[in-house]
Parts: sequence; C-alpha cells; structure tokens
Amino acid sequence: MVSPATGYYRPGDSWLHRRDPLTKLLAVGWVLLAAFLLPPLSLAALAALVLVAAATTGLVRPLLRALRIPALLIASILIVNALFYPGAQDVIARFGPMALSREGLAFGVVSAGRILVAFSASILFLFTTLADDVLESLVARGASHRIAFVILSAIQMVPRLQDRASAILEAQQARGLAVTGSLATRVRALVPLVGPILLGSLIDVRERTFALEARAFGASPRRTAYRVVVDPPIDRWLRLGILVAMVATVVVGVGGWLA
Amino acid sequence: MTHAESEPEAAARRPDTAGIALEAVGVRYPARREPALAAVSLTVAPGEVAGVAGRTDAGKSTLALLAAGFIPRVVRASVTGRATVDGIPATGLDAGALAGRAGIVFSTPANQLSASKLTVREELAFGLENLGVPREAMDPRIDAVLAELDIEHLADREPFALSGGEQQRVAIASIVAMGTGTLVLDEPTAQLDPAGTRQVAELLRGSAAAGRAVLCVEHDPTVLGHVDRCLVLDGGRAVGLAPPGVALGSGVLGATGMPVPTIVRLAEHAGVDQALAFDEDEVARRLRDPRVRASPSPDVPKATLEWTPIQERPGVSLEVRGVTYRYAGGVEALRGVDLVIEPGEAVAIVGQNGSGKTTLAKHLDGLLRPDVGTVAVDDRDIASLPVHEAARTVGFVFQNPDDQLFNRSVEREVAFGPRNLGLTGPDARELVERALQLADLLAVRTTNPYDLGLSTRKLVALASVLAMEPPVLVLDEPTTGQDGPGVSRIGAIVDAYQGTGRTVVAITHDMEFAARHFGRIVVMRAGQVVADGTPLDIFSPERSALLASTGLEPPVAARLGARLGLGSTPTPEALLAALVGSA
Repeated sequence: MVSPATGYYRPGDSWLHRRDPLTKLLAVGWVLLAAFLLPPLSLAALAALVLVAAATTGLVRPLLRALRIPALLIASILIVNALFYPGAQDVIARFGPMALSREGLAFGVVSAGRILVAFSASILFLFTTLADDVLESLVARGASHRIAFVILSAIQMVPRLQDRASAILEAQQARGLAVTGSLATRVRALVPLVGPILLGSLIDVRERTFALEARAFGASPRRTAYRVVVDPPIDRWLRLGILVAMVATVVVGVGGWLA
Repeated sequence: MTHAESEPEAAARRPDTAGIALEAVGVRYPARREPALAAVSLTVAPGEVAGVAGRTDAGKSTLALLAAGFIPRVVRASVTGRATVDGIPATGLDAGALAGRAGIVFSTPANQLSASKLTVREELAFGLENLGVPREAMDPRIDAVLAELDIEHLADREPFALSGGEQQRVAIASIVAMGTGTLVLDEPTAQLDPAGTRQVAELLRGSAAAGRAVLCVEHDPTVLGHVDRCLVLDGGRAVGLAPPGVALGSGVLGATGMPVPTIVRLAEHAGVDQALAFDEDEVARRLRDPRVRASPSPDVPKATLEWTPIQERPGVSLEVRGVTYRYAGGVEALRGVDLVIEPGEAVAIVGQNGSGKTTLAKHLDGLLRPDVGTVAVDDRDIASLPVHEAARTVGFVFQNPDDQLFNRSVEREVAFGPRNLGLTGPDARELVERALQLADLLAVRTTNPYDLGLSTRKLVALASVLAMEPPVLVLDEPTTGQDGPGVSRIGAIVDAYQGTGRTVVAITHDMEFAARHFGRIVVMRAGQVVADGTPLDIFSPERSALLASTGLEPPVAARLGARLGLGSTPTPEALLAALVGSA
C-alpha cells in the first residue's frame, strides 16, 4: 500500500483528485478543528461527510483497509475509557477493579470517534494528493523550495525507515540477537537495532544529498515545474468558504466550551 | 545550452578546454594524515571514455567527486593542482557554474531517484526543473534522452518499480537530460546483476559518441573493457594510464598487487595486441596458435589461508523439501523447491535478480518460513526454532554490512556474535582473534567500522559471523562492491572454512568466483531450481543454452574453452591445463 516514492497516493481523476492541494489541506484542517472543538453530536455528521467523500471518489474499500492502522489505538481508547473512567457514577457492570460506566462509554466513544474522523480525513487526503504537488503549490505561493524539499524528504523517510528497520532486525537476529522473550531482552535488543538505522540513514542521506547536488538542486533561484498543478477557479471560493467555516467552528466550539 | 550564458562565460569556455583536465591534482581530507590523491594528471576529451581502477581506498571515488565539481564545494577537502571541467575550474565554490555541465552517477540506484515522482518521464524532468528550463523546452529534451538511452518503453513506469539496471539507466538519463558535457560514474554496476551490468557498460560508448567526456570508476573488468584508456591508482597516486588491456595487466595493475582479470591474463599469455585484450574472438584465435599452446602457462595465483576452528562442529545437512513461498502481495518467490545439501559441501546459488535465490537462502536460517513444504537443518525441522537460535547452526552474512554494524570498533563488532551465543572469557577472545586474522582485519581492529570503506565493512560483517564458527555459513552476494584483493580473500576464506568440514552456501552473481571456490552450482530461475551440478557440468558448452535462458553467462574461461573446442573449462586453471594438454 505504501510506496517509498509516493506514499499512500492512489492515481485517479475524482473531484477530490482535481482539487488544488492547498484546498484539500485546508479542508483536512477544518475537519480536525471541527472534530475536536464542536459538540460530540457533530462527530456523526463529520463521519458521514468523510464517508460520502470516500464513496463519491471510489475510495471506501481502501479507506476501510487503512483503518487497520489506528484500529488498535481506537479500540484501546474505547475500552480503557469505558472500563476505567475516573469518578464514574452511572455504573452498568463491575469486573473486579474495572467498572463499565455510561460516562466512560460515552467519553470513550467520543474520543475514539474523534481519532477515527481525524484519521479518515487525513488518509483520504493522502490517497488523493501527491506530496510533491502539495509542496509545489506551497512553493508557488512563496514558500522556500529548500524547506519544502526537506519536509518532503522527512515524509518519505517513514517508509524507508520501516524497510530498513525490518532489514536490520533480520540481520541482527541472524547474529544470534534475541528479540523475543522477556522485556529486558527486548530492551537490550534495541541498541543493535537503533545504531544501524541511524548510521545507515546518515549514509543514505549523504548519498541522496549528492544525487540532489548532481541534479542541480538549488542551483537556480527560479525553479520551473514539469508536472502542472492546476488550481481550478472554483477552489478559490472553496478555500474562502473553508476559512470562514474554520473561524465559525472556533467561535462556536470555544463559545460552547466557555458557556 | 542549459541556461543563458553571458559573453564572458562563453568566451571562457574555449572548445579545446572542453572535457576533464586534471593537472597534478592532490586532495587531502581534513584530519587525515595521508592525502587521498597526490599529483594525479588526467585529461578526458569529449568523445572519449576513461576508466579508473585500483583497490578500495586508492582514491578512485575522490577522483570522481573532484571531476564532478563536488570537491571542495560539497565535500570539504584541500585541493592542490588544477582541475577544470568544460573550461571552468572544478574546484570553484559556485554551484551554478557547473550545474548542467558535469554530472555524476553513483552506485545505489534507489538513492539517486528523487523519490517523489510518479513516472520516469517526470523523474527525468527533475534536473531540468532545478535548472529553471522553461516548461515548453522540457519534453523535447526528455524525448531525446529516452531515445538515446533506449528507455522509451519505461517512460510511463513508476521509477521504484523498475529493476536495478533499469533504475540505473534512468539515473544516468536524468543527468544526461540536463545537457551535461561531462559524465562521471562512480562504480555504477556495484549493485547490479550481470544483465544490469551489461546494460550500463554498453551505454558508456554511446554516451561518449554523443559528444561527452565520460569518466567511469569501476572494479568490474567487463565494464573497464569498454573504455579507451584506464587510469590505475594505488595509494592516491597514478601508476599507469593506458588502454585497459595494458592498464589491467601484469605490468601495471598486477604490479600493485591486485589480481589481473582472467581475460587480460589470457590475452597476455596469447600475445594479443593490447587494444584487443577484451576481444574474446581475438584471444580465442591467438590461443589456437600451437606455439602459444606450447609455451609455459602463466601463474594464476590463488590465495590460501590456514584456519583452525576452536569448536569441533562438523557441517550439518540442510534439507529443503517442496518449499513454496509467497510474499505479501501474492508474488510467488519460490515454487516447489527441493534441495539437499550434505555436510561439508560448498554450494553456490546463482540466478538473475528475482529468481528467488535470496528468498531460498533466507529459509535456511529461519528468517522466512515456507508456506508449503519443510526446511530441516541437521535433521531437525526449523519451523519451531526462533531465528536467533537457528543462528547457532546457520550463520548468515547479509549483503549490506550497514544493516549489521553498530559497534565503535571492528573488534567489538566481531565479538558481538559470540557474546549473543553466550560465549565469554578466553574462548570468546580467541574466536575474535582468529576471525580478525582470517578476514585480514588485525590492522584495523580498533577502527570504527564506519570510517572504513564498503569493501572492508563487508569483511567486518563477514568476520563477525565467522567468529561464531557456525557449522553452516551462508553468504549473500559476498563479492559485490569488493575490489580484487577482497574477492581473493573471500575466496580463500570460503576454501579454508569448507576445508574444516563445514558447509558454505553462497548467493552470487560472480560466475568465476562460483566456479573457482564451489564444488556445486545451483541455478535458479523464476522461483525454481533449473540446474544443479558441478562447475564442470553447469559451465559446459552443452549447458550454455540453459544458462542463457536464465540471463547468465558462463565465466570467461568457460566461454573461451568452448570456442576452442576444449570441452568444459570452468576456471582459468582448467583452461590453461587443457591448452597445454592439447598442444
């Protein structure tokens, strides 16, 4: 699913694909704000919104598959809150030190729901937007190209590090390093794993820096672009609308909080 | 032109100063006592291909970086003498001056892709984007480069999905697309399989023919055979500059203590004209001459080592029965493989990238578990054994030493394995001592492995497994990226190890290495074993069609023996013996 070059991106021509990257970035920003600031009931509406977006772009199945990633986190938030809510009054059932309470359940559902909505919106963004395009559109609006590339490389580091980490894990086990067993064993196993990851990454970075230099990266102050990032006229209005929505969300959310 | 040149710039770039001109250059890195290069002179004119040979740390990479304008601009070092590329001082600190004029390609294909583009076409545009070339001018240039390097069929493919050889051609194309007049390559085939190596070697001439000055640093003699002249470096100094048939021969390369490539040795023996030393037809023709056959055979040195293990652990048997393995994503890497290796055998597993050889080797120590079938080590099914337990019996040396090295000295690194196995005290120290000796690392025992070159790091990784004295030693591509003496050393280690009754299994692309040090060759293609026999059998003329179908070629000695009708002569020694025998 994850490509070292293009991450989670899935080529396509849906209405989401065709939006300017900045528009989509703002939209995800709004969803995150709304999920965490607005009253819990709005979560259902947000979730429905994300689902509709996925359905209209043919990405429901990939979205559901991607939800495996935070599944453990979401489940544990739900369970821990439901069973261990401090100061719980409305208890449904007790199991020794654990108490299943309505407050806990409600809180757990809301917290888990927020993570779910935030994650889903973000992954839909990654499915429909090339990291490169995000940076090109930011650079076109005046961001420094070097910083943009540093960010891009940082994003790409994750899948690369994952690959390297599993290669290193195998290599060290083959030298007799025990990586399963007691906690002490596992902690001791970290040193021979972290070293090669860091040092290997440094060597990697050196080679990649050389490759960039060889391709004149940074040589000319005025960079051109081969891949055209289109900013459809409607997007300007969309962005304006989203910004207004963001302000409104903050007002309503903080206001509701203070009340 | 890549960008608008001003009048003074154009005037400064006189035609007779195009290409690379190095005059008595010296390079010294900070905090190093010895210079990396001293008083080296070399000119490479447009249309010419020059090679650079020498052992690891002889200064070859330094020369490449200098010729590409990376020193001292990107890599800090003090430089003496004059280095000009395309009429511009290569030691200037202005990034813009050499951009698009001198380009350099390195050995790891994946590290040279910008890693953010969806197609090869966009990848090739990357350099043009950086140079500020107008969008309208990009497509014609990209089309021209795709045609020149014969990769038009790859234009819309995703760069990361290509094979190593294809990626390397894309890396070269992305440099050439910038309009460079000078192309420098630093060990471009080190990570490639034989087919990939051929692809790169073949485009060197074409690149020069397009009007470029090409400089190629390499260990592989087949690539160096394509150059016009070859510079040989030893300890940072130039010891010879001549056509490859002479530069890589006994008089120059051999005189520095490096082994002479087989084809050159045979060419010298046959008295072939130096310009044709790499022409197998010519060498074969001259070898037919009865006077050549009657003349005394040259020495083919083969290093031998003494090694006595501390632990009495004879080789164990390995049984792979009906193994099928599928990677996540459905790719069937192994399709019903049966393989039995008896104790004390030395087996080389060969095949193209993607044939399943590494996958098979990883089953031998439990790194991978079969989906179907069983793997038994010493008559015990290893399905239930965790990898670190299996490591006591099967020692695996990975291709990339940087996946294993993390200690601050070579000595501590070598001691890591024995420590994991619970060995301490004088026995452990002795194990480390012998392993260091075997791998010729005593002189660098206190050095940090990351301060050593790749060749030496590979030997450190090897020594760290040797110190465990496992009954079975598995080596994954032990000779890639190694210089001549390194390959000889590893061959001697394999011989010595197997001589104690232990088993050695190696995955390798180097057919000559396989023929000289292994009694059994297993050929794989598309996840299956397609041939299994002695070098005499596998590299015989009758099997050449089968071998070709797997993308492999028999070693030079076997090819010449077949041409001369001498039957199967897998090694240089066998060929020479057969020549004398037929005189």
